Amino acid sequence: MTTPQLEISGLIKRFGGLTALNSVDLSIGQGELVGLIGPNGSGKTTLLNIVSGYYPADGGTIRHSGTSVLGKAPHQLARQGIGRSFQITKLFKRLTVLENMLVAGLSDGTTSRAAATERAMGLLADLRLERLAHERAASLSGGQGKLLEFARVMMLEPEIILLDEPFGGVHPELKRFMHERIAAWNAAGVTIILISHDMGSIFELCARVVTLSYGDIICDGTPDETRNDPAVLDAYLGEQHG
Amino acid sequence: MSLLAIFEQALNGMIVSSFYALAALGLAIIFGVLRVVNFAHGEFYMLGGYAYFMALSALGLPPVLGLVVAAAALAIFGALVEWLLIRPVYDGRADRPEEYSIMITFALSILLLNLANSLFGPWPRRPEPLFRGRIEIGELIVSGDRLAAAGVAVILITALLLGLRYTWTGRAVRAVSQNREAAEIFGISVTRVGMLAFAVGAALAGLAGALMGPVFNVVPPMGVIPVIKAYVIVVLGGLGSIPGAIIGAIILGQVESFATILIPDPSRALAYKDAYGLVLLIAILLLRPQGLFGTQDRRA
Amino acid sequence: MTPQRARTLALGVLLAGFAVLPLLLGDYWIYTLTIGFYYAILAASWALLVGYVGRISFAQAAMAGLGGYASALGVQHLGLPPVLGLGLAVLVSGALGLAIGWLTLRLHGAYLGLTTIAFAEILRITATAEYGLTEGSRGLQVAPLLTGGSRTEYYYLLLGVTAGCLVLMGLLLRSRLGLFFQSIREDEDGAASLGVNVTLWKMVAFAISSAFAGLAGGLYGHFVQLITPSMMSLQEMGIVLAMAVIGGFHNVLFAALGGVALQVLLEALRELGEWRLVAFGLVTLLVLRLMPNGIFGAAVATIAARMRRNGGDE
Repeated sequence: MTTPQLEISGLIKRFGGLTALNSVDLSIGQGELVGLIGPNGSGKTTLLNIVSGYYPADGGTIRHSGTSVLGKAPHQLARQGIGRSFQITKLFKRLTVLENMLVAGLSDGTTSRAAATERAMGLLADLRLERLAHERAASLSGGQGKLLEFARVMMLEPEIILLDEPFGGVHPELKRFMHERIAAWNAAGVTIILISHDMGSIFELCARVVTLSYGDIICDGTPDETRNDPAVLDAYLGEQHG
Repeated sequence: MSLLAIFEQALNGMIVSSFYALAALGLAIIFGVLRVVNFAHGEFYMLGGYAYFMALSALGLPPVLGLVVAAAALAIFGALVEWLLIRPVYDGRADRPEEYSIMITFALSILLLNLANSLFGPWPRRPEPLFRGRIEIGELIVSGDRLAAAGVAVILITALLLGLRYTWTGRAVRAVSQNREAAEIFGISVTRVGMLAFAVGAALAGLAGALMGPVFNVVPPMGVIPVIKAYVIVVLGGLGSIPGAIIGAIILGQVESFATILIPDPSRALAYKDAYGLVLLIAILLLRPQGLFGTQDRRA
Repeated sequence: MTPQRARTLALGVLLAGFAVLPLLLGDYWIYTLTIGFYYAILAASWALLVGYVGRISFAQAAMAGLGGYASALGVQHLGLPPVLGLGLAVLVSGALGLAIGWLTLRLHGAYLGLTTIAFAEILRITATAEYGLTEGSRGLQVAPLLTGGSRTEYYYLLLGVTAGCLVLMGLLLRSRLGLFFQSIREDEDGAASLGVNVTLWKMVAFAISSAFAGLAGGLYGHFVQLITPSMMSLQEMGIVLAMAVIGGFHNVLFAALGGVALQVLLEALRELGEWRLVAFGLVTLLVLRLMPNGIFGAAVATIAARMRRNGGDE
């Protein structure tokens, strides 16, 4: 059996008296596309923030291809192949779209500017942004901003990408295009963890769906299994009152 | 050190604390409501000193009315500054609001300092104090002007705290400090409260300047040192926290009062007097950025 | 004309202009401009930190003073030649900058501003209090950089160093480091998520900016031959801020030009006395409020827009 791409075991996170993650175990293999769902406050973004190095953990381990992730800074993990996006995009607004890409492309300190630019233009073309390469990121629409964040993450040539609510506030046509890109990257071998409230997208894209509720994994299965799991239904109904 | 000397230092510390607290409270209210650190606060304090001096020397008013004039003049000035310069910070007109607020108030402080130099000249002025003479408490002798000024400061602080607690306006100020959005939903005009907070903050600085003017002279750079103390205090107490500012003032007054007598070489001790607070400021910001009494704020 | 060529041409004209000025001016103005170069380096070094990295500091003038004292004392007590004294100034200011950068990593905005004010004031107070070493507020005599150097010689020396500093800053900011700095200014978490070592570059930026300030202060001391703690004061910091803001603090060259231009104006308007500083303050407020990119920034943007409209190649 091969080592999983990402192996989380016994992960604990507390904020004061509140337990955000209650000994979470999760193993994700290379090339998987996993949906991570759960009601508000269930710990999804907390989990993502720990895996990407933004929060320290209070217990447990996380291994990426066998090496420990905990204790490493976000930039180290980014260079080590764990890329992420943010729920609210964190674009460099006063830099151009291309410069946004180059930050990621040059952060390893060795790639030449010419090589990084070429790669960036290719990715921008993939995401239909090449026309805007020399515009300031501030001038992008919300949806274009989401695409730029995708493109920046891909500049890292990541092994895993963690996408936090990529479809929030995106119109349906663009969402379709994003689905296509996510599926294509996954098909090219990138492991993807997708957090979303958009069940339609999750069930369509992901073969495996993990449900968190109050810091516990309450379901880990196919979309069908998840849909029919009474615990998942309870978790959502308890919060949303139908 | 004799017991008397200890008492004397402690009392000196308390007197100094009351002025510091007055200036620091203004800073705390402005920060609480607007999330702006007013880097021109020291110059507001200085202008208060001059307003008091002018009221007494040019208008011939009695000292008590001089205080009223200083407070009113600075309140109007503060409201104007808020309207002209500070409003872009929160109405979306400034591109990078925090950077803008820091630079604009810092630039304002330099402008006001130079303006005072041009208008009033660099010479020190000494307006009439509230009260002359000395007061003896047992063997302790305190000069009356200081004690009277401290007494007025304590009364003003008490009035302010009661006002914040029991008047509608005071509650609106506290509401906006705690949660801007919620306050807006409940029909509080954030713009109006912002202007009010700036006016009140400026008036408090002005009053502190007016009270201190007769004790330490009125001169253009008179606000530079006290404002740094006010920063130390609000950082000590947690930026924007009003009880924190008062406790911070008490701590700083005592630290300065006692630290001075710990260095044997007297001229050096005097030269370093103003550095203790700064060291305290750095230590607090590095170790506990939310202040001793402030609430946890991840992004300092 | 392409924007690229226009820029090269403008820079060439600018440098040539400064090179011929001493032939046209008397000693007094040559002296004034030389002091202007000190402010140019200082304003540019501040712009490098505040405009590019988005880290506010009010310790820039204090760092210049520290450099001034380090160089002067190095020459006086360690017997260093003034050139090595300047090297010491760069090292000492750079090292303290690195330390402050490290200590203030978690601080932002007004908190950072306050902390840097505290460091600046502690430096000034120490320079005043340690009169055994620094002569306190009476001021410290400093050895000249050029023995028997004329005003014109100092002018060209400082012009050369200023141009050199600006070229160095320009190269730095055009390298990938410049991109990292700006990404940190825009969004620290975003920059880290793309592999930028935010912690390291924030410290390095503070160190580099302070080192330039230290060099400027060292040069100033060896040129004027007298330094006092007042060069570390917050009022002096206010002047540097005004210069950078008026020139345009999002561009090191504009900030530097602001430094020279305002120093010259301050001298030219001497008969206005203190009022020129008032006018200076008012202009700073107006520029901050209405022209966030400074006067030179706004001017260049207008020219660029006109060139584009008149059938440029874009």
